[in-house]
Order: sequence, then structure tokens, then C-alpha cells
Amino acid sequence: MDIATYKNDVWGREVFLGVSWDLLWVVVAAAFVVIVVHALVYAARKRAANPSSEGKRVTRHEKPDRIFHWLMAASVLVLLVTGIFPKIGIEFGWLTIHWVAGLVLTGAVVFHVVRAMFWQSTKEIMISASDLSEPFDESKKPGKYSLAQKSMHGAVTVVSLVVIATGLVMFAMIDTPWWDRTNALEESTLGWMFLLHGLSTLALVGLIALHIYFGLRPEKLFYTRSMIKGWISEEELKAHHDPERWAPKESA
Amino acid sequence: MPSYDVMPDVQLYQPAELEDALNLLDEHKNDGWLLGGGQDTYGWLKDRAKNPKALIDVNGISALKGIRPVDGGLEIGAATTLREIIRDPVVNSDYALLAQAAGRVASPQIRNVGTLGGNLVQDARCWYYRRGLACYRAGGNICYADSPEGMNREHALFNASRCVAVSPSDTATALAALDATMVVASVDGTRELPADRFFAGPATHITRMTTLEPGEMLTAVRIPARWAGKRFYFEKVADRDVWDFALVSIAVAMDVDGATIGESRFVCGGVACTPYRLTDVERAVRGKALSDDTGDQAAALASKGARALNYNHFKIPLMENLVRRAIRV
Repeated sequence: MDIATYKNDVWGREVFLGVSWDLLWVVVAAAFVVIVVHALVYAARKRAANPSSEGKRVTRHEKPDRIFHWLMAASVLVLLVTGIFPKIGIEFGWLTIHWVAGLVLTGAVVFHVVRAMFWQSTKEIMISASDLSEPFDESKKPGKYSLAQKSMHGAVTVVSLVVIATGLVMFAMIDTPWWDRTNALEESTLGWMFLLHGLSTLALVGLIALHIYFGLRPEKLFYTRSMIKGWISEEELKAHHDPERWAPKESA
Repeated sequence: MPSYDVMPDVQLYQPAELEDALNLLDEHKNDGWLLGGGQDTYGWLKDRAKNPKALIDVNGISALKGIRPVDGGLEIGAATTLREIIRDPVVNSDYALLAQAAGRVASPQIRNVGTLGGNLVQDARCWYYRRGLACYRAGGNICYADSPEGMNREHALFNASRCVAVSPSDTATALAALDATMVVASVDGTRELPADRFFAGPATHITRMTTLEPGEMLTAVRIPARWAGKRFYFEKVADRDVWDFALVSIAVAMDVDGATIGESRFVCGGVACTPYRLTDVERAVRGKALSDDTGDQAAALASKGARALNYNHFKIPLMENLVRRAIRV
């Protein structure tokens, strides 16, 4: 199976056409296998009851961050549907919806980056050397984010930035209300853009499948609730986090 | 791109029944290619720009041929030749618009073998695409015609979405003006759809000109009685009088009471990837007299929303003048 597809440019040179969309089924199958294996392994394990959500509450996510998260989620889902469905034979007028959703995602990410850099502690989400022992030491609890959450954030960050950067280049190649396309980009450069955009899209499919799965797991549902309502209970905090490493404010 | 004198190695099927043809089409799906008059087919195959594995010749299927009355209107089989349509007395008396449009297709030799179905579903004539380049329409990610050096004199003014190719069919504009419906068959059954849902633009179907799915075949065209015997106007402007595609064409059907225009259909060819209906013009002329004044007023609306490319600005006044000529007494 090919990773990329090729074409001959106007001069007869072989250049990238884009990603091979056969890979989509590999990604879908791989995500499915990971999810099933995880679910089976986890089901076989003995585990403590989930901590209560009653009692005192602490703030996990501020409102602007929750809005950003769901805006990003909505725009990414729209982008995936409008980007992938036509490739698998479900044809509709996707282009305008795709670039509008792309601009929403770009705006949301810019907002998030600025907010994280100037109003939040980026340390909370960065992987440090001390985090690496976390999976092997059950007594060690994470700060605000676990190693798995930090890894997911890091992967989504890299993939999103690639998909946004290549998407903006491709955006210049279509007509919009603000400009007429120039179609002036070298075909080989354009081929690279399509390839990277396609590869990052496939990566997003896998990452988002895992993200949704973990977000819906019973023992992780309190994180999803916190992304909607903003808070976790103090018991949840004590059970899953190290108050020495993360001391959140009490929630209203 | 090499061009060959001989046909490629392809399996030829010559079914005698529609059912057999549909089964073959279903079996071969994207590798199957329907052969009518062959006037679009042979160029693709000899250039090796399209490489089907199975050629399904429908010329032996009698159910796909002929012109017959249906529900007060007409049904024309997809494998009916353009010559038969041009010479049919009922088409000439009641639906002369179609006879005129068919009479302007290519050349007498091509009309002798070319079929209505083939003329309707023929592929885009953009030479970058026909040359075998991997443009958007060929599954690529660029439009060569709409690039700084692109030659786009014959390309679209309206509804382009990445690809700027136009519909090359003369009969499509006439049939759209006559509110014709297309009968589409597959092994799963038959469906009938109007022209505006049969012809497809690049925003939704960038690699094909119609909404025909793999395994489907256009079997007939039905023309309702609605426009029978009305006032018609067809004009095609091309670089040559014969054997050429329209730069711009217009097909008009009008209810005219005395000199007053009632309901009408104005459809242009050569300006979009599908037959392009001028609904603003239709609204503007309703209730007005057939006159030069009405023509002048309506002409200004014809090209509303046009987006000219580097070399096709001339199509805008051409469209406007064709509307003017259709309305004058």
C-alpha cells in the first residue's frame, strides 16, 4: 500500500499528488484495535470505585478554555467530514464549509496560543523528565495533566499546526470573497502541501478517535464533565492528582 | 502525450438487451465504459487518457432507440442519433428548439452516428484535461486553465469551483429549456431527474459532468408537453460554423400571448459547467412585450455574477447580445 500518490506535472516530472486515502482504513482499523484492546485489558483489571463528584469543587477549566475546546472540537469534526467524505465517494458541496471551518479552527488556535503564552502556565501542559516515570509508578500522581493527556495535547498541537499551515497555503489556491486564486504555486510545492495536509488529517482521525474514546470512558467522564462545567470535586482531585503539583482554586 | 492510431486492448461487449447492458455496467463499474456513437469515446481511448477495461456498446439495444409519445410529451431513447432527432417531424413541429440545437452539433458526419445520450453526457472539452494532465477534474489538485499562463478563452464565467471547464453539450441547453427529465437506469431500478439535478458542477462533482453514479446509464430523455409549439430561439456562437463547440449558446422557450411574454426559460451553454439558466432574465421579461427595449433591459441581467478569467471576458457581451437577439421581434 502506498503512503503517497503521484502525478506528472505539466513538464512531465513526477511530483506528489497527495496522500493515499487507502491509509484512512488503516488508521481507522488501528484506532479500533487500540480501543478494543484497551477496553478489554482495563475490564480485566481490578479497580477502585470512582471517587464521588459530590462535595467541594475545584476549578479545572476556565470558561474561555472550555469555549475554545468545544469550538476546536466542532471545527475539527466539520473539517474531517468535509475533507474526507468526498474522498470516499460521498460527494457534496464541501469546499466553502471546509475553508470556513478551517478559519474558525485557525482563529481558535491563535486565541489558545496567545492565552496560553501570556495568561496561563505552559509548564502545566509541557512534558517534563519527571513525568516519564508516571506510568511505571502507581504511587506517583500527576499535576493538572497526566503524561497521557500531555502526550495527546502535544501530538494534537503538532498535527493541528501542520494541518493549519498547509491548509492556509491551499486556501490561497482557491477563490474566496477576498481574493481570486492565483494558482501560481509550483506543482511540486503544492503536492507537498497536499501530502502533509492529508497525513496530518489521517493522524487527527486516529488521535480524535482515541480522544473521544478516553473522554467517554466511565473513569474519565469527570474530565469530560469538567470540560463542560469547568469543575471537578475535591475527591476526584485527591484520587487522580497530586495537590502538591497542582493546587486549583475552589470552584464557585 | 502519445496518440495512437489503434484502439487499446479492451474487452468489447455488444449486449442486445438493456438488462444485459446494466448487468455488465454493474459488473465493471468504473472500469466499464458505455459506447454510443463513440465521438467522445475514441479520442479518450486513442490518447490513452482514459483506460476502461470493458467497452459496452449500446447501439444494438432497440429499447434505447427511437422517439415516441409519452404522457402528451415525447420520450427519446438515449441511443437515438442526432440525425434522427433533427429529421423527426414531431420534434420539428412541437420541439423545434431541440431540432435546432441538435442541428448545430459538430458536423453532419458526427450527427449521423452521435447519439443524444452521448451528446448529453460527453466529458469536458478543456484541453488541459483532454491532454491527460492531472488537473482537478482528473483527480489532481490544480487547474491549469485558471493559472497565470492558462489559456481559458473557452472556459466558464459562472459557478466555477476550482475547475473552470464548461459543458460542451448543445442539446443539454435546449433540453434544460424544455424542462426535460432524464431517465437513469441501473440494476437497482430506474430514476427520473430534471436537468438541474442531472448535470453537475465542480462544487459537488469535480471529476464528472453528471450525477450518474458508477453502474448507472442514461436510457432516455422525456420532454413534457408544457413547451410544445411555443416560441423558441436557439443560437450558438462558435469559432467555426461546423465541427466546433459553443463559445456561448442560448436556448429559449417562451409563452407569448400576442406580443407579451409569459413564462419563459432562458438557458445558456458554454458559460458554466452545466447548462446555465438565466432566472433573473426570465423574471424580468415576464409580462413585457417582445421588443428591443425589453431585450436591452434583460440583456443587462444576463451576465450578473459573471467572473471572467484572463481570456474570456468577451463571453459577457456575447451572452448579453444573445439574450437581446432572443427577445427582439
